[in-house]
Amino acid sequence: MAEKFHMELSQLKQDTLVMARFSRDMLHDALQALIEQDTEKAKEIASRKKQVRDTTIALEERTYQLIAMNQPMAKDMRVIACTLKIITSAERIGRYGKDIANMVKHIKGQPDFGQPVPLMHMANQVIAMIDDTLAAYEVENLDRIAGLSFRDDAVDSLWHSIFRETLTFMMENPKTITRSTYFIMVARYLERSGDHACKMAENVHYMVTGERIEIK
Amino acid sequence: MTTETIIQTENLNLWYGESHALQTVSMGIPKNRVTALIGPSGCGKSTLLRCFNRLNDLIDHVKITGTILLDNEDIQCSATDVVMLRKKVGMVFQKPNPFPKSIYENIAYGPRVHGVKEKSELDAIVERSLRRAALWDEVKDRLHDSALGLSGGQQQRLCIARTLAVEPEVILMDEPCSALDPIATAKIENLIDMLKQQYTVIIVTHNMQQAVRVSDFTGFMYLGKLIECGKTVQIFEHPKEELTENYITGRFG
Repeated sequence: MAEKFHMELSQLKQDTLVMARFSRDMLHDALQALIEQDTEKAKEIASRKKQVRDTTIALEERTYQLIAMNQPMAKDMRVIACTLKIITSAERIGRYGKDIANMVKHIKGQPDFGQPVPLMHMANQVIAMIDDTLAAYEVENLDRIAGLSFRDDAVDSLWHSIFRETLTFMMENPKTITRSTYFIMVARYLERSGDHACKMAENVHYMVTGERIEIK
Repeated sequence: MTTETIIQTENLNLWYGESHALQTVSMGIPKNRVTALIGPSGCGKSTLLRCFNRLNDLIDHVKITGTILLDNEDIQCSATDVVMLRKKVGMVFQKPNPFPKSIYENIAYGPRVHGVKEKSELDAIVERSLRRAALWDEVKDRLHDSALGLSGGQQQRLCIARTLAVEPEVILMDEPCSALDPIATAKIENLIDMLKQQYTVIIVTHNMQQAVRVSDFTGFMYLGKLIECGKTVQIFEHPKEELTENYITGRFG
């Protein structure tokens, strides 16, 4: 019986990774659609939300069933606890992707600032944090999330910098207020996604070692 | 919260003839707590349990080295009064084993052996013991019926009551629920939880869920060695030893 349970647990982990990477792609693709102002692509990205929602519920159901049927302990219990947290964070990241995609149609055609805002750069930092955290979860090794706290500090700095920069644009030219406000929201969502990467990493750390740490 | 240690083994070794059944076991049993011993069959957990009331004395070719302190006194020395030791350290076995006597006589037997003769005193001991074993309400109207007419779960609680009648300090339980159905098991588990107010309980169990439910401390044994011992929550949430991890997650063998 233990063998069957461990196979199911391993499959649950694999499927959670697929779902989490699907959500990560939504965030990445939404940023690209935003930069390219591609409303068609944005629409398609927003429509992926249903799949994230359905998969989340299905994965949670399977997790609850594994708990009910097997009363997992020690590492097995920690894998399950970590998986539940990852499912929640991943769903949130996917929804940020959808929210950003939904902004594209409102931003398209709005007066530009005349100079780029480093949103894609910030997104790449956050997505790398998510990728490394998911890889750590997959192989149960903490090497790739060792410096996550510093990387999150860098993301926080980018958020403050973008916030201040866009405020300046708005003061200089009120016609940019719509675009600026949306950009501030995008930066905020990216900063939150970085925090979700840290939350997931804390849980991966607990899964691997049994010790609780705080990554901030 | 500090806990006083009631039993302490130091470098305890036990051989059954050539077979080295306990290997350098050093372990403290906290007072007024429930300690569970878990491990695969043949790992020595019942053997260790039986050291605590010298039940292994009854087996031929047993050799024991090391010390076992009960209340800081070595119970291995020849001066130890084994009858008094077994009064202090009671035991409940896998299968309920009531005497083929009445319920009342089952409980009164021990105190009588230890010199209690007054009927009123015996009556009080019988009632108190049955109450502590959560059996009084079920049997108070048929105290003089045969104990063999009780259900398996009731018989097991009777055996616990019989142990309590001589006011032990420690109660050893060797798989006390493995012959019982889930409802009777739940009653025994609730009882164990109540008993720790007054007694120290050491339980051997194959059922890890039971160890989690009833115990405060857990010792994991493998091939005669105590691999890991600690708070039950720690052992089952994040054991320190890989062997323990593999055993409790069913990745053994």
